[in-house]
Amino acid sequence: MTKKKGKIDLTATAFIAPAFILFTLFIMVPTISSFYYSFTSWDGISPKVTFIGLANYKEILTGGRFRNALKNTFLLTLFISVLENLLALCLALLVDNVKWWKNFFRSAFYIPVLLSGIVGGFIWKIMYNYNFGVVNSLLNTFGLGAFKQDWLGNPALTLIMVGVVLVWKGAGYYMIIYLASLQSVSTDIIEAAAIDGASPWQRFRHIILPLISGAFTINFTLSLINGLKVFDQISVMTDGGPGFSTETIVYLLYKVGFSEGRQGFGTAVGVVLLFIIIVLNTIQQKFLRSREVQL
Amino acid sequence: MKKKEKGGTRVKPAAIAVFALALILAVIFLVPVFFALISAFKSNGDILKNPLALPTSLYLKNFQDLFAQSDFVTAIKHSLILTVVSEVLIVCIVPMAAYAIERRQSKATALVYTYFLAGMMIPFHLYMFPLFKEMRTFHIYGTLTGPILSYIAGSVGFGTLLYSSFLKGIPLEIEEAARIDGCNPFQTFWQVTFPLLGPCTASMVVLNGLNIWNDFLLPFLALPSNVAKTITVEVYSFVGQYTARWDIVFAGTVCSIVPALIIFIMLQKYFVKGITAGAAKG
Repeated sequence: MTKKKGKIDLTATAFIAPAFILFTLFIMVPTISSFYYSFTSWDGISPKVTFIGLANYKEILTGGRFRNALKNTFLLTLFISVLENLLALCLALLVDNVKWWKNFFRSAFYIPVLLSGIVGGFIWKIMYNYNFGVVNSLLNTFGLGAFKQDWLGNPALTLIMVGVVLVWKGAGYYMIIYLASLQSVSTDIIEAAAIDGASPWQRFRHIILPLISGAFTINFTLSLINGLKVFDQISVMTDGGPGFSTETIVYLLYKVGFSEGRQGFGTAVGVVLLFIIIVLNTIQQKFLRSREVQL
Repeated sequence: MKKKEKGGTRVKPAAIAVFALALILAVIFLVPVFFALISAFKSNGDILKNPLALPTSLYLKNFQDLFAQSDFVTAIKHSLILTVVSEVLIVCIVPMAAYAIERRQSKATALVYTYFLAGMMIPFHLYMFPLFKEMRTFHIYGTLTGPILSYIAGSVGFGTLLYSSFLKGIPLEIEEAARIDGCNPFQTFWQVTFPLLGPCTASMVVLNGLNIWNDFLLPFLALPSNVAKTITVEVYSFVGQYTARWDIVFAGTVCSIVPALIIFIMLQKYFVKGITAGAAKG
């Protein structure tokens, strides 16, 4: 295991090389070249790549379409991160405390995670259907027919309806992380608090919650980053519409790149997305990590 | 967390309330999946008339139509090849890299570790256009090789993270004993350490495999457009194509869901282990 200084560790190099080469070729090289293409008017097909300086970034900053996509992305991401974490924590508490069928419940809440975004999105698209969908027929059954809607046809609602599908699909994943964290909280501390007269709410608020704040940081970061990257459900459910009401940054990037042949502009949008992810990650690590309690 | 039960076996109302709430939520979570599974075995008319009713007979026409009207066999074949070949290669490549990073700690390996982890932050959408151009240069655009190599590259970050955290729990003494017995580092890793990493490998394979099986954008854009691509991509194109034949699309979704469901039921604990180990280090 010991080796002389300054000498290249051949064994380690040989072990790492395959992963390093593939990772570099298929992730890092295209990533770095996307910075270059973001300064061009590349159309994705022709070999000619024209350098146009900051024009793409200028369009991003001044054009209305990007601002709309940014707003949609921000709203959708916030909606799913908050609801996913609330729901996932509730699910984890339920599974942790339920007396019967514990494994069944854990699996049931996780099963939507197994479905591809396309498949899950399609199922919900049919369930949201105005005439034949399960959602409207259930509303009818419960005498709530007045709330019947074309759920994906109303621009004011569509983003939220897509958000619901994403929360349904994602909550089970974060539940697993909360559950592991809850199960690592020592029962001794909680019993001691109970003996000292702490109510169940006080025990949750002042003992369990601080101790699972690490899981919260991870889950919130993960759900934010995943929210920013949502694509499959939008493509199958709304195609960015009606109008531009569900066009997110990622969807805009895809649309301009493939339908409009403006891959230079698309990569510039991608660079902005990466920048947003890095900023969010940094803020969150700094802000939330500092509030965590370590045992 | 639970209060001691007074008086023997009496069940407390709170426990029943928790159970009832969990049951209601479980039904809400499972209804869409249940809806898809039953609809695949019903005629289009029955789906429209009574969406949540159970099929009355074993109705397999949707599957017959699915295979007759589309090249779904090719789609299944592609999904299987992409998932299995990528996973086999990932298991050959990633644990070795993680092993070297974890056991040969130096400035260089620490740098490689950071480099791999940084990759986890990069969204696929950012680099997909240049990636396809690169694939054209290597003449692997429109082949299964392109996506397979991308999947391996995409698994390096999370895989290294997962394997390094598991490797920390494996004592060095075993490896040293193997070395004294005359094993070279390659043999030591594959014959002594790797078998001990079984649970970690299982976790990585199920989590990664699920992502590849379900992936949409990469096969959609990088496989040739004149043949069926993968199950997920076929389901997507059916949605636009058969707007009035939901029954066929549902038959397709069942082909996508059922294998994932079976793997999950069989290997559940590895899903849980992988997610929690990844999160603990994330």
